[in-house]
Amino acid sequence: MSIILDKVRKVYGSQTIVDDISLEIQTGELFVLLGASGSGKSTLLRLIAGLLPADGGQIALDGRNVTALPPQERNTGFVFQNYSLFRQMTTAQNIGFGLEIRKQSKTVRDKRVTELLKLIGLEGLGSRMPWQLSGGQQQRVALARALAYEPSVLLLDEPFGALDVKIRAQLRQNLLEIQRQLNVTTILVTHDQDEAFELADRIGIIEGGKLLEVGTPNALYRRPQTRFAATFLGAANLLPGQRNGTHVYVGDTSLTAPPDTEHLSNQPVEILVRPEEVELALQQDALQSQLVGHGVVQQVGFAGPLERVVVRLDDANFEPLQVLLSPEKVRSLSLARDSAVWVGLQDYHLLPRNGEAVNN
Amino acid sequence: MREIRPHKPLHFLILGIALVYVAVLLLAPIVSIIQRALENGFEPVITSLSEPNVIHALQVTFLMTLGAVLLNTVFGIIIAWVLTRQRFRGRRILNILVDIPFVFSPVIAGYTLIVLFGRSGWLTPTTIPIVFALPGVMLAKTFVSLPFVTREVGPVLATLDTEPEQAAYTMGASQWTTFRRIVLPNIWPGIMYGVVLTLARALGEFGAVSVVGGGIEGKTETATMFVFRALNDRNDIGAYSMSLLLGVTAIIVLIVMRLLRRSVVREQAAYVNHSG
Repeated sequence: MSIILDKVRKVYGSQTIVDDISLEIQTGELFVLLGASGSGKSTLLRLIAGLLPADGGQIALDGRNVTALPPQERNTGFVFQNYSLFRQMTTAQNIGFGLEIRKQSKTVRDKRVTELLKLIGLEGLGSRMPWQLSGGQQQRVALARALAYEPSVLLLDEPFGALDVKIRAQLRQNLLEIQRQLNVTTILVTHDQDEAFELADRIGIIEGGKLLEVGTPNALYRRPQTRFAATFLGAANLLPGQRNGTHVYVGDTSLTAPPDTEHLSNQPVEILVRPEEVELALQQDALQSQLVGHGVVQQVGFAGPLERVVVRLDDANFEPLQVLLSPEKVRSLSLARDSAVWVGLQDYHLLPRNGEAVNN
Repeated sequence: MREIRPHKPLHFLILGIALVYVAVLLLAPIVSIIQRALENGFEPVITSLSEPNVIHALQVTFLMTLGAVLLNTVFGIIIAWVLTRQRFRGRRILNILVDIPFVFSPVIAGYTLIVLFGRSGWLTPTTIPIVFALPGVMLAKTFVSLPFVTREVGPVLATLDTEPEQAAYTMGASQWTTFRRIVLPNIWPGIMYGVVLTLARALGEFGAVSVVGGGIEGKTETATMFVFRALNDRNDIGAYSMSLLLGVTAIIVLIVMRLLRRSVVREQAAYVNHSG
C-alpha cells in the first residue's frame, strides 16, 4: 500500500475542511479525487504533501508514517495548477532542482534531465526560460520536475485546469502514458468528471470535506451509493419509487429490482437512469426494455454525436426525463415535439430516497 | 491618449507654472552651486576636498552610510518578510512603527537616540561609547533610512506567488535554500531599489547625525556637517565643493534609481505577459 490515510482531518476556525478521511491507495495506482471547488480536495492533497499540517489522523507514504514530517522529508512530487515553475531558472534547472537539493553530481543531473525532457517530449528545450514555453509545455516541465527525483508519490492539483480543451486532452494521454511507464503512485485532484473517467483507476468523490464514495469509474457511474455521486458524475434521471420484494414500484408500473439492492428492501428509493439507458418506442410492444410509462416528447435537440430528447411522463410526479438517442433512432421514430412515446429503462440502479447512503 | 500637445494660452500657462516652479526650486540651486564651486576652475575645489578634515568627513560619511545600508537591508528584508508572511498580534502596529522615520523630525530622532544611549540611558553600553561617537552617527543614519528597504520589498513579497516556494519544499529544499534560490531572485530588484533610497537618505542626513554625533571635527563630523560648519566659518569654497560632490553623488543615485525602476517595471511586465 503506497498511500494510507487514516481519519485525516483539517479544520479552519469553525469549519471542517477535511473531515476524517480514510483511504488506501495501491502502489502504481492513479487515483482521482473528484469534487467541486471548496470540497476540500486540494486541501487533502496539501495535507498529504505536508504543505499544511493535519489537525488529526495519520498519513503513511510507502509504509512510512509521515504525519509529523515536514514536506521536505516526505519525498512527494507535487504539480500545481499554475505549474509554479521557478521563473528565474531554465527548464533544465527547474527539472534538475530536486536532484541538486539531493546533492547529485552535475553529470547525474544532466543525464536525468535529458531523460526527462525526452519523456515529456521537450528534447532540446532545456535552455529555455519558463516564460518562453507555452502553457502545455510549462505543465509538462512541472511534471518532469516533480518526477525527477523519483518521489514515492506524485500529487497533481488540477494539473490541466489552466489549459484549453484540445491541449488538455493531449496532455491527459501523455500523463497516463508516463504514469504507467514509471508506475508511480499518483493522486490527481480535479473537478472535471471527464478527466476523472479518462485517467482514474479509481475515483474518490469528495464533498464537504467528506470522502463520499470510492470506486472504479464504471462502478461509480453505474452503481453509485449516493445521490450526490449519481448526479455529480454525468446526467442522471431520478424517479421516486418503492422497493418491495423483488420489484421496484414506480407510478403504476413495476420494474425488476436490481440484484445488488436488497439492502433497500421495503424502502422508498430513487431509480437512477442515465440518459443513454432510456429507450423510447412508438408502440408498447416495440420496447425491448422494461416499461416505465407513457409520455410526450417536449424537446429534441442537438447534442453533438447524439440527440438530446426530453420526455414528460404522463405521471405528473416525475420530472421530465433526459434521454440521449442516436440520430438514426430519432429519425426512425420520427421524434418531434409532442410525439407520444412509450418509455423503457434498459439499465437502472437504486438509491435510497433522501440521498442518504444506508450504513450496512 | 489623454495627453495633448499644448496649443491654447491656458495650456502654456499651466506648463509655464510647472517649469518655473521646478526651475526655481530645484534646478536653480543646483546650477548656482555648480557655478559658485567652479567659479575659479577645478583647482580650488580639488584643493579644498583634499584637506584632511574633509577627507575624514567623507570617510566617516561613506563608512557610516555603508553600515546603515547593510543593517537596513538585512533587517529591512526581515521586517518585510514578517509583515507579509506572518500573522501575529501587533502586526499593524509594527507596520505603522516602520514609518516613524518618515514623519519624525531627524533632530527629534537624534535626541531620542541620545536619551536612549547617552549617559544613564536605557541602553547605554559600558564598553563602547555611542553618543558623540561614530556608532551614534551610524545609528542616526540607520534610524532615518530604516523604512526604505522594508517599504520597497514588502509589496513585492506580498504579490509574490508562494506556490513555487511550496514546490521547492516538496522537492526537499530547506526554508533557507528556498529563500535564497527561489524568493531572493524575485525580490532582488525591490531590494536594490530600497538600497539606493536608503543610501541616498543615509548619505544626506544632517539633523539626527549632528545631534547624536555632535559634529566633532576630525572625529564624528560627516560631509553634510562639514558643509554646515564651512558655511558658519565663511569657508565658501569648502562648502561649495562639498555640496557639489554630494550633489553629484545624489544625481548619480537618482539615475541609478530610475534605471532600476525601469528594470523592475519591465520584469513585472514580462511576468504578467507570460504567466497564466
